Amino acid sequence: MTTAAFGQINTEELPTWGSRSADCFEKIKQIGAGMYGQVFKAREIRTGEIVALKRIRMDNEKEGFPITAIREIKLLKKLHHENIIKLKEIVTSAGPEKNDQENQDSKKLEGGIYMVFEYMDHDLTGLADRPGVRFSIPQIKCYMKQLLTGLHYCHVNQVLHRDMKGSNLLLDNEGKLKLADFGLAKSFATNHDGQLTNRVITLWYRPPELLLGATKYGPAVDMWSVGCIFAELLNGSPILQGRTEPDQLNKIFELCGSPDENNWPGVSKYYFYNNFKPPRPLKRRVRERFRRFDCHALDLLDHLLTLDPNQRWSAKQALDAEYFWVDPLPCDPKSLPKYESSHEFETKKRKQEQRQLEEQNKRPRLQHGRLPPYQHTEPHQMKDTQPSFSAGPSHHPYGKHPAPPGGPSMYPPRNQSGAYNPSRGGHVGGYSGEPYPPQGRAPQYNGSSMPASGPRGPPGGYGVGPPNYSQTSQYGGPAPGRGLNNRSQQYGRQ
Amino acid sequence: MASNFWTSSHYKQLLDQEDVDVVLPLDKEKGITLEDFKLIKMHMANYISKVAQLVKVRQRVVATAVTYMRRVYTRKTMSEYDPRLVAPTCLYLASKAEESTVQAKLLVFYIKKLYSDEKYRYEIKDILEMEMKILEALNYYLVIYHPYRSLSQLLQDTGLNDITLTQVTWGIVNDTYKMDLALVHPPHLIALACIYIASVLREKDTTAWFEELRVDMNVVKNISMEILDFYENHRMITEERYNAALNKLPSRV
Repeated sequence: MTTAAFGQINTEELPTWGSRSADCFEKIKQIGAGMYGQVFKAREIRTGEIVALKRIRMDNEKEGFPITAIREIKLLKKLHHENIIKLKEIVTSAGPEKNDQENQDSKKLEGGIYMVFEYMDHDLTGLADRPGVRFSIPQIKCYMKQLLTGLHYCHVNQVLHRDMKGSNLLLDNEGKLKLADFGLAKSFATNHDGQLTNRVITLWYRPPELLLGATKYGPAVDMWSVGCIFAELLNGSPILQGRTEPDQLNKIFELCGSPDENNWPGVSKYYFYNNFKPPRPLKRRVRERFRRFDCHALDLLDHLLTLDPNQRWSAKQALDAEYFWVDPLPCDPKSLPKYESSHEFETKKRKQEQRQLEEQNKRPRLQHGRLPPYQHTEPHQMKDTQPSFSAGPSHHPYGKHPAPPGGPSMYPPRNQSGAYNPSRGGHVGGYSGEPYPPQGRAPQYNGSSMPASGPRGPPGGYGVGPPNYSQTSQYGGPAPGRGLNNRSQQYGRQ
Repeated sequence: MASNFWTSSHYKQLLDQEDVDVVLPLDKEKGITLEDFKLIKMHMANYISKVAQLVKVRQRVVATAVTYMRRVYTRKTMSEYDPRLVAPTCLYLASKAEESTVQAKLLVFYIKKLYSDEKYRYEIKDILEMEMKILEALNYYLVIYHPYRSLSQLLQDTGLNDITLTQVTWGIVNDTYKMDLALVHPPHLIALACIYIASVLREKDTTAWFEELRVDMNVVKNISMEILDFYENHRMITEERYNAALNKLPSRV
């Protein structure tokens, strides 16, 4: 099940020889920016198809076509999987010297080389950062499962992604998740004894072995990042926000305990071990800090945030974790709510604009953070989860931002067919024989059926925010009253 | 290499011999015959290996570069894409794709050392410009599979522990890049043909081993015949003959 398209022959027709011109596309707007260049949303004029164009930066290139782009193209042309972004083609656009000023209308693309990708509506960070968006547990499981399936495919094909983070996980409105940005990715088949750089992966998602100076590493580096992403989804905010590399290591050790030869054989041989090992022994606190997560989530997280890369779970092991096979099951991607497009680039921009507006109005800035998912409250877990809320990290948005009433729930409409039950031998029968006990995991609240309630969040706070996404109709239907009880039990602390 | 050959663009781009042996109209006008066409490509393959030896890159880079060059000329004319520029540029691009980069200025330096002829003299900016055109012509399909990989596995499998046989086979594989074989046949069949020839040369009996393989021996024999034909007819081609063919092409100078 996990090997998906591996070894499958791709029978798709090859595009005709030679690349097309970028004039086939018209620019809609910029949706991303980074060290690699810019990303635009664009429309193919002939077909009307919406695509994402990533401009390959060519300035400051003494050596012609950048080798980083060559790596990305080589890898993407080899990887064909439903959970990996599809590189459709590469187009070139005439240099700017040919476009004289007056001819340069805003829809025309700047000169350069563009990678053409299928368009995805969101990235995970952008979506999670949207005011009021809150993921449900089946939704998180659904995303995590797709993320791990895509990454497993990379790893069996001997490709390390090396920049796993929320903003590189793209989502479409069908609920599909795809791994993107292979600009740092590397095939690890070719050089077994070659040295790899440890200056990869965004700091907050970088595993301890890289921070300690490892130059030989494998798929486990991506799995650490997956652990960080997973915890972030459940937690509502990034869990290890180091400012510098030593600070990042400290934060890791504070959470995962100090490394030693017992829990991580060979750790003392790392280049920076003696410089950065904690002065006094620290206890592992993963289960303590995240004790409000349910036990299966915690079990998975514990195995992902394992210091020793050799003991850390692989993507395959993670996919086999109990978490994905117990109720609530990962939902069907298609059952997920449709959101208006959001990318981290835009969410950031929107936040900046909001900040400016608030400063102009001299209004106190409203605290806004991501909301952690609804917890699924089986009675015996309630005891555990409740007290931990107050024990959570101080920046936890719940501290200042109680769940606003009546916001549109991000909970997928819960009908029996929506349950995503991927066939895993034997299990299927077991689940169908046992009717879904909806009361256990249905924090659908009445409020969502009230169309007047509008976007979530305190009124007035998001004047320049996104237009009201009118999704209420999606949830209006089946919301049963019983969910309300759960929620007030769980969140009604004040 | 990640992924496998059968799902690769390389496999899907394999061509029929008839499609490779096409002299495009513009080149025909210049008087280029099929024989000239093949000779020029052979000469350029040699050119690429000579430069590669000077800049010290692995054989694999040479093999990829030659394959790029041959692919380019299934679609582009030599009149428009001067082989004397395409060849070093393919080496430059292949050095990036195979992770053993060579600086453009180093390449230019050695080209000058190798050929005093003005017609070979190209500058860095020419190479960088041509690189873009080649990338487009190749439609950015840059991953090439070579017989070298299957070769060592196959040789081990034969159970013939003969270093000379290995070296002879390796040499024959290198020579296959002087032909268009890589555009037409999958790499493991080319490897088998090379083992076949080498074992005959070294008088090793591999018949039983070949019989156990589940491959079409007719294809292997055809490839072997083509290689032998090459050794018979094309080993002693004089520089003049190459130049005569090249001189039919327009040149910058």
